[in-house]
Parts: sequence; structure tokens; C-alpha cells
Amino acid sequence: MAVLTIKNLAKTFNVGTPKASRVLDDISFDVRGGTFVSIVGPSGCGKSTLLNIISGVEEHTSGDISLTSDSGGPARMGYVFQDPRLLPWRSVMKNMMYVQNDRSEETVARARKYLDMVGLAKNADFFPGQLSGGMQQRVGIARAFAVEPDLLLMDEPFSHLDAITARGLRAQLQDIWAQSKKTVVFVTHDVVEAVELSDRIIVLQPGGRIYEDITIDLPRPRRQTDPTVATLQAEVLGRLEAMKTLSRTAAA
Amino acid sequence: MTDQLVGAAPVAPPADPEAGAKRTARRRRWRLTGLVILGWLALYGVWEYGSWWFGSRLLPTPYEVLLSAVEIVESGNFLTDFSASVLKTFAGFGVAAAVGAPIGYLMGRYNYWRAFFHDGVTIAGTIPAIVYAVMSLIVFGLSNLGPILAVALVSAPYIALNVAEGIRGVDKSLVTMSEAFGRTPQQIRKEVLIPTIVPYVFAAIRMCFAVAWKVEALTEVFGGRNGVGFQIRTEYQLYDIAAVLAWMFLFIVFMLIIERLVLAKSEARLLSWRPQERSSAL
Repeated sequence: MAVLTIKNLAKTFNVGTPKASRVLDDISFDVRGGTFVSIVGPSGCGKSTLLNIISGVEEHTSGDISLTSDSGGPARMGYVFQDPRLLPWRSVMKNMMYVQNDRSEETVARARKYLDMVGLAKNADFFPGQLSGGMQQRVGIARAFAVEPDLLLMDEPFSHLDAITARGLRAQLQDIWAQSKKTVVFVTHDVVEAVELSDRIIVLQPGGRIYEDITIDLPRPRRQTDPTVATLQAEVLGRLEAMKTLSRTAAA
Repeated sequence: MTDQLVGAAPVAPPADPEAGAKRTARRRRWRLTGLVILGWLALYGVWEYGSWWFGSRLLPTPYEVLLSAVEIVESGNFLTDFSASVLKTFAGFGVAAAVGAPIGYLMGRYNYWRAFFHDGVTIAGTIPAIVYAVMSLIVFGLSNLGPILAVALVSAPYIALNVAEGIRGVDKSLVTMSEAFGRTPQQIRKEVLIPTIVPYVFAAIRMCFAVAWKVEALTEVFGGRNGVGFQIRTEYQLYDIAAVLAWMFLFIVFMLIIERLVLAKSEARLLSWRPQERSSAL
């Protein structure tokens, strides 16, 4: 069953002014429950705007979005941002609890479980300022999983980290996802990262249209050193290069 | 030369870094304490020298002032006048907070209100305290309301401007995060807005406190019927400079106690998440 359905979605900034610019145009796709979908594309193609629209932080100009939840009630969303966005004046555990709707023992135990999964159970009482950037981002990931979301949105969560930390976190994310099987929409400009993590990659082209919808049918867990992963990464990268050339030619 | 290098003693294993950091922090604390004591001794020396130079009738020695302070405390008038001044300062400060904080909130939150209040608040903040003191006495005469109004008028602009700056300094990305996780406006106010403005409010309180009690005493000097300022004026009329300085000295001691034991401690507790607060607690 589709958790997220998007039909003919469009977004224009500064509508009705001379500065009006369309960043998303005729976007339609759906995301089935328990799948990991990545949205890739060059900078400025509207990836983050699309995620903000899905989360409800931003309004769309036209089209439809529908979200369904297993419970039948309103769908719950989790969000992992480019930067950790933790409250600096609250401890790690209090940051985890801030986004929860209740303070029941079960919720506290769940928050602790996800902190443990990212290896930070011992740091529950630390303030964010006492943690490294990578550790803070791990708290951000644990926080998003701990709300038990129907849909988890991730906006380039590893783009501000060094290569080694990002690699470790990607592996950790794969493990957590394999255990929780949450529905994830993951925005990235890194094709290599997208192939490693996703079941499906939606490629956006400049102008905010869908260029291609690629299914990644590879066994998990995937590691970058795996030759089949590397081959597919090279293939997807080639298709993206072709798209860029096409866009440049069209623009010329 | 080469032989000496080759035959040099083996490098010692690195010491425990945590113990090293604590030792450095301890050494720094001792050095700071030493400098504070040195500062006080220098002040004492300058005062003693001044007394010798001007003569103790014009500038009594620190010891004479101390004796006079003890006399004031033992006389029994001390508590009545002292509590009158302190209560008036706090009352004025309370009025300033009640008026200044909402204005600051509006200025920080909405551009229209900022445009409306900005120039008025800035002008109010630049008017000399003595003008407020005189105006308050003209309006309220010799009643207790004069000093209270003067303190409120001097403090309110500071509080408004600091609260406004605090609100404007709110990290928008934290607000977006809260909204993305479905937090209510009340939760965002409690968990994001208020903690952000706490450091600014503390800065405002400290700044105001330093100014407020001076204005309060000044207003009493001009037209009080009780309080420290009134006593200073009385002693001045009797030309008892030691008593004038003793009253001032007692008031300073009280304000230092408030500043060091109440404000500094509560600030350290509320802002313990800040790296600088944690390192000073080492």
C-alpha cells in the first residue's frame, strides 16, 4: 500500500510577481510502505523544496499530496535535516523526548533503544555541545526513527560530515532501516550514496521535473566495496551525466 | 651532537589529558583569584594614600568608614532605611520588567511593533538618569513612588531592547525542526523561544541592576523621606563624610551579594549547557 502519493505537484516561488520562478513541475510518484526511496539531482532542482512540501513546512502551488498511516489516523512524520538541529540547552535524551507526543515508559524505552542503536546510549545525559558533529547527527537520526514515523524524510543528512564519518553513518542507517523497515524518502545529490541505500531512485532534472525513476534491485546489506554496487553506481552516474548533457544542450 | 640526540632520554608517556586539563583549570582559577585580591589591595592602597593626601576629614580612611558602617548597623536605623531602598529598587525593577518585557517581545517578534517602539525606546534609554529622578519627584513629590518610577523608567528600555534582541536571535532552523515534528506553538515557545532569550534577559537584569540602585539612591538624595539616599543626604548635611561613605559601602556590599550569590549562581545553573559555563565549573 502506498504511504505517500503525489500527483501533478508544482511549486512556484513569488507567484504573481516578476520574480516568479517554478522550482517543481508536474511531479507524480508514489512510495510504497517499507521502501527506501532516494531523490537525486543537481543543486537547485527542487529536491529539498519537495521534501519541505511533503513535510508540510512549505505550501505547494498546485497538485495533490496524500499520506496514509497504518493506524488510519493522521500520518506521523520524522525528519532528519542536513544539520542535526538539536536544542543546545537540552540533553540528548530530552532532545529525543521533545519530539514525542507522550512521556510514557514505552516511549522513553523506544527513545533509549534508538539511541542504543546509534551507539549513544551512554551519552543520553550529555548536552549536544559536548558531542562531535557526527555524534550529533546520529542523535538526529535516532530522534527521527524514535517517533515511529509512517514516513521518514531525510534531507542530505550526511552532506556536512567528513567522508569517513558519513560512510560509518550510512552503514548504521542501513542497519537501523533493516530492523525498523520504515518508509523513507531520502534527498541527496550523491548518486553513490543513493545506490548504496535505496530501493528506488527518482532523478530530478533542472527545472524540477522527474527525469527518471530507477529501481535498485540489489541484495542488502550493501557496501561500497561490493563490485555489483560499484557497477550499478557507475551506471546510474552515467545516466545522470547524460541528463546533464541533455539539459545543457536544451539550454543552449 | 648527533650522538647526544640519539642517546637522548626516551620520551615520557603522555600524562592523563583529563588530569592535565583539571590542573590547568585549577591554576587559572588561582591566578584569577590572586588578581582579584591584588585589585582590592591596589584599591585599598589608593584610598589610604588619598586619605593621607586630602586629610581624613575630607576623605576618611577605610578603617574610619568601616567603624562608621558598624555604628550604622548597630544603631538600628540601618534595617529600616536599607529595606526601604531595596524594596523601592525591586518594585521599580518589577514595573520595568512588566512593561519592558512585553514591549521587547513585540519588538522582536513583529516588524510593525519594532517600527512603532524602536525610536521611543532608544530615546528613553539615552535620557540621563538624573532627568528621570527629577521628573519622578516633580510628578510624585516626596512619596515612595518617585524612586520607584525613576528606577522603572531607567530600566525598562534596557529590558525591552535585550528581550527584543533575544527574540530576534532565535534560531529559525530549530523552529522549522519543531514544526516538522508537529510541535505546537506553545511547545515551541517553551522549548525554543524562552531558552534562547534567557541569556539576553540575564544580561538585561545585570545591566539594569547596576544602574537601578544608583538611580534609586539618587532620587532619595533629591527628595526621599527614608532610604539609603535620604541618609546619605542627611549625613552630608552634617558633614559626616565617613557616614556618607559607610552607607554607600553597605549598599555596595548588599548589591555584590545579590550579584554574586543570586544572579551569577542562577545564571550558571540555567545556562549550564553553554561550553563557557561548563569550563568555568571545572
